[in-house]
Amino acid sequence: MPDTKYLIVGSSHAGLAALEAIRLADAEGSITLLSKEGSLPYSPTVLPYVFSGMADADRVFLREDDYFKQMGVDFKRGSAVTELNAQKGQAVLETGETIGFQKALLATGARPQVPKIEGLSDCPFQVLRTLADAKALKSGMESARSAIILGAGLIGMHAAESLCEAGLQVTVVEMAGRVLPGYFDAKASGMIKSIFNEHGVKLLLGSPVTHVVANHNGCGVSLENGLDLSADMIMVATGVIPNWECLENQGIDGAQGVLVDDYMRTGLKNIWAAGDVTRSKSFFDNSPTYSGTLPMAVEQGRIAGASMAEDPGVKPFPGAVPLNTYSFFGNRSFSVGQAMATASGKKTEVNLIHIPSSNSYQKLVFNADRLVGAMGINSELDPGVLWRMIERQVELGDVKEAFAAKPKEIGRLLMNNLWR
Amino acid sequence: MGRSYHTIAFDAQKCNGCQECEKACAQAKAGVTDLVHSRIKVSPGRKEGEWGLALCRQCAQPLCVMNCPGGALSKDPVSGVVSWDESRCVGCKLCTLACAYAGITFNQATGQVMKCDFCGGDPACVKSCERGALQHLTGSDIYNEWGDLEDLFVPGISACLGCNSELLVRHTLRRVGPNTVVATPPGCIAGVGAVGVNGLTATKTPVFHPLLTNTASMLAGARRYYNRIGRDVTMLAFAGDGGAADVGFQSLSGAAERGEQIIFICVDNEGYMNTGVQRSSTTPYGAWTSTTPVGSVLRGKTRDAKPLPIIMLMHNCEYVATASTAYMEDYYQKLEKAILAAKKGMAYVHVFSPCPTGWRLPPARLIEAGRKAVQCNLMPLWEYESATGDMRFTHPVDNPLPVTDYLSMIGKYRHLSAEQTQHIQEHADRQVDLLRKFMQQRMDLAV
Amino acid sequence: MPKTIVCDGNEAAAWGVSRAKPDMVAVYPITPQSSLAEYVSQFVADGIIDADLMDVEGEHSVLSVLQGACLAGARTFTATCGQGLAFMFEPYFRTPPLRLPIVMSIVTRDGITPQCVWGGQQDAMTVREVGWIQMYCETVQEVLDTVILAYRVAEHRDVMLPVNVCHDGNYLSYGVEKVELPDQEDVDRFMGEKNTNWHVALDPERPMGVDPLTGGATGNGPALFVRYRKGSCKAMQNALQVICDVHREWGEQFGRHYAPLVEEYRLDGADFALVTIGSMTGAAKDAVDAAREQGVKVGLIKIKTFRPFPLEAMIQALSKVKAVGVVDRSVSFGWNSGPVYQETLSALYHLKERIPAVSFIGGLAGADITETHLQRVIDVTASLLQGHMPAQPIWLNEND
Repeated sequence: MPDTKYLIVGSSHAGLAALEAIRLADAEGSITLLSKEGSLPYSPTVLPYVFSGMADADRVFLREDDYFKQMGVDFKRGSAVTELNAQKGQAVLETGETIGFQKALLATGARPQVPKIEGLSDCPFQVLRTLADAKALKSGMESARSAIILGAGLIGMHAAESLCEAGLQVTVVEMAGRVLPGYFDAKASGMIKSIFNEHGVKLLLGSPVTHVVANHNGCGVSLENGLDLSADMIMVATGVIPNWECLENQGIDGAQGVLVDDYMRTGLKNIWAAGDVTRSKSFFDNSPTYSGTLPMAVEQGRIAGASMAEDPGVKPFPGAVPLNTYSFFGNRSFSVGQAMATASGKKTEVNLIHIPSSNSYQKLVFNADRLVGAMGINSELDPGVLWRMIERQVELGDVKEAFAAKPKEIGRLLMNNLWR
Repeated sequence: MGRSYHTIAFDAQKCNGCQECEKACAQAKAGVTDLVHSRIKVSPGRKEGEWGLALCRQCAQPLCVMNCPGGALSKDPVSGVVSWDESRCVGCKLCTLACAYAGITFNQATGQVMKCDFCGGDPACVKSCERGALQHLTGSDIYNEWGDLEDLFVPGISACLGCNSELLVRHTLRRVGPNTVVATPPGCIAGVGAVGVNGLTATKTPVFHPLLTNTASMLAGARRYYNRIGRDVTMLAFAGDGGAADVGFQSLSGAAERGEQIIFICVDNEGYMNTGVQRSSTTPYGAWTSTTPVGSVLRGKTRDAKPLPIIMLMHNCEYVATASTAYMEDYYQKLEKAILAAKKGMAYVHVFSPCPTGWRLPPARLIEAGRKAVQCNLMPLWEYESATGDMRFTHPVDNPLPVTDYLSMIGKYRHLSAEQTQHIQEHADRQVDLLRKFMQQRMDLAV
Repeated sequence: MPKTIVCDGNEAAAWGVSRAKPDMVAVYPITPQSSLAEYVSQFVADGIIDADLMDVEGEHSVLSVLQGACLAGARTFTATCGQGLAFMFEPYFRTPPLRLPIVMSIVTRDGITPQCVWGGQQDAMTVREVGWIQMYCETVQEVLDTVILAYRVAEHRDVMLPVNVCHDGNYLSYGVEKVELPDQEDVDRFMGEKNTNWHVALDPERPMGVDPLTGGATGNGPALFVRYRKGSCKAMQNALQVICDVHREWGEQFGRHYAPLVEEYRLDGADFALVTIGSMTGAAKDAVDAAREQGVKVGLIKIKTFRPFPLEAMIQALSKVKAVGVVDRSVSFGWNSGPVYQETLSALYHLKERIPAVSFIGGLAGADITETHLQRVIDVTASLLQGHMPAQPIWLNEND
């Protein structure tokens, strides 16, 4: 007999969503939840707010111990898994301990990718993926006066804002030509960049780094364009790589994310995967894609749990939709779906509103009768409404004009009528 | 057993966009009338006079909670309310991305998200809605209370797909409890195995097949004897319309006249559905059955249904009510009254029971048909209490739907001519009119 | 001290009911039973009977309320006849297989049509195959006594069947006699413990499904159904012994001895016998006595218990004679004779020697069966011994 019916490796959003989905369909099957961390579960997404001071590091936990008791879950902290063996139905922990399982979910997330830049490995640098990282960053910030951040993604930008607010001279170095290149078009990125500039953050875009050196102050960074920068601290925020290594040697390659099907199955017997460790199909073209967002981790976790528990109500994953919300210096923004698209051909239409006085920008992208993407800065639109309209492929038909004119109101009306 | 919760229901038909609810909400939550603070949002619709509503639904599996990285959102297991903890909110707005219904939104005035917290159980918006477009539904209390009661009906009975008899029997038995004798005369409820087959029974209370003709009499005899020996045992009948309105009528009428202490539930599926869909005296005008067939000469039943609930009203039963499984909360309240009334005399409850098999009605639309029947005034929901003489509609329908909304769902009416449809419409109107007249003059049948 | 009273058969039955202490009596009037319903109702009104009086809307409900009450544990009584019995037939039919020990008087009445409100046994005889025990009384005293002892038979663990105590409409219902009313304490001692629903009950303290669908061609259905049927038939046979035991006990305690199944009257040295049932027996015994005085060697066999049919007792009695004349107070339409005659023929099959028998039908619709009629019965039956065989049946009142 295996030790547990369900083994969930990783206790962040995907793992917790799976746990709840399992319990909906199977009130009694034993569940073991493993976390490599010594703490209660928390979200990597909260970490920028921990070091910005917005969140109290002691009050960021997603669940309390009581919760696991009520759910009948054996929650084991400090349990890093080194091997998840499909053939044996067995997990091997770092401690050498083994746990037999009937079904396992890999929800180990990802870790910072450290780019191969000459000299970087010899230089003390910060990353942000764990509560320990956040605390280290926070204490590092206290003695520093300047910082260089490699990468203008969400983590880099959040960190830049916090460091700036803490009074540091901040420079962000990004290889791509604009900030938040995965989510925002040139116009929106430009608006965001201006606001950062207004607050004194220097943004060096389209600037690959050639090498890094440690110096007596902290470190120096040399760019391809010949510029040399120097700061008290350096932070690397150039993306993440999946924590998939416990599946190595079992005939799959998860370096770009463990590929999963519509029910989050890995192809290995009795092993599912969800969240930042996976690659799944894209909603728009079915190609394998890496999401790495919190909402997708939740969606995938729910499906994985339902599939593991053989819930007859399980629905296939509709595909990954790129999406996120992002708030900065008192402004807020969001991006959902094919928001980068530009008007082209007969089918794709773009509806744009830009009000410079209020720093507001709103973009709706249609493909024929359907909404396929939306983006906003300081916009009143409800991103959740728009996401589900896109996902459910709501045919707007004769309401399209009204929607384009009053997207907030008509969007709310449509989704509330579609409630199910 | 999972819990069920109070909810706020919105009837778009009744909303006129006055935004009083928004004002009430802003006032209750921020102490000001600026609607920016309202957590309930009335949205103009696609055309003039159409209104939608965006309001937190306090989801069972709230995605906002699942998507919150700070643990600021949580669902209270007792009240069911999804609550927001300001002190833990990091302002990421992922919750607004997670919610498909704009139930949690950004408040520009405060710079924070906000959502409905149900005003601690007494929502201000509902109280402000004079048109009744918003309703505070508390039916969950009954589900929660009854959910903990023992289920006295076994799983795995053999009802037709979609049949509501199981729903009715299971929930009724939970409430009346094990100290009950249940009679199910020949008919669908006996047919699904309530009494049992070849030595096995489906019911955990004493249960028996009376004759189709003598349900009320057999229960009366048992009840009288229990009274004699000082035991208060509930007598409960689930009889079909044949066992109540047709061949079972004499014993029912006799027992009602004598004031026998019985809860008599007539499960009216408008004919002999268990024996192959033949007509009964409650089969409505125009309906096809296998003995009121449709052909070149005959076009369904030629007479209106016998109005059994009204006939039972005239018996001055202790309690008389009509009910529908499409309105379970209403049914529960009536069952409570019936249980009390049956301590003194007969409680008669007439349950309209659409039949997927015999009515040629898709199983998935059965509850919808039951609801439409009420909304068309074909099956008005009312009750009468002998003790007070009070008679009232429990679900008044001020602007009834046309009967065609109901008839068009159901195969047994497929052949109706315009004249037949007109007849049914007039019958519905007359019936409600008659009931209204009864209610206007205090029903004092006891005198 | 037992009281002596003068009353008719319907009142005697009501007194018997009072002594049996039922929990519930159900009443609905029909001639010639009506005064029995009235006496019972008045006795409840006067506190003589401590029972629920179910004044229901028809005979169908009369028996139905008693079934419900009996399943809850009540001892019950009612009475009916003729069309009332016909209307009651649906619940009547299922009382025996439900094994409910209900006692019901049938104040026998002829059947309609022709429209008729007078005595005759057509009602009781018509339902003889339904499964109730049937005992037919000869006298008003026997009516009173039999109503009481019927409960002992019905509620016996080996029986658990309903009992009809049949007394002839008009003759016994309205005929007045001096009868002895036993003391309540004596009857209480005789009755013992009530036993109505140990085997099947509608009682939340013993929840069970009563009478689920049983039978069909598959599974355990056929075997289960046979088991129930065999049980009912076996109980009916068990009743023969119980009826004898209860009558003997009654005789020992109260000094009134009745032949429980079959009475043999002056069969010693008889060449032939009359077979009678019910109140006609009194006149028939007078006719036999008169014939004996004339030297005619005739005896009489009275059937008291007709269901279960007392086969052994009948064989024993019939084997003492060489010919029988059977007098029926009803007809068997299918056989063109009387039902008692037909059943007597069935018993005769078991004799070593075949003897002739003749069917008489008399006393229909309130008509008298007088000593004169019975003298004719004796004469015709005697002629069988000479090899004569008249056309059958012989309608006694045809030329009245």
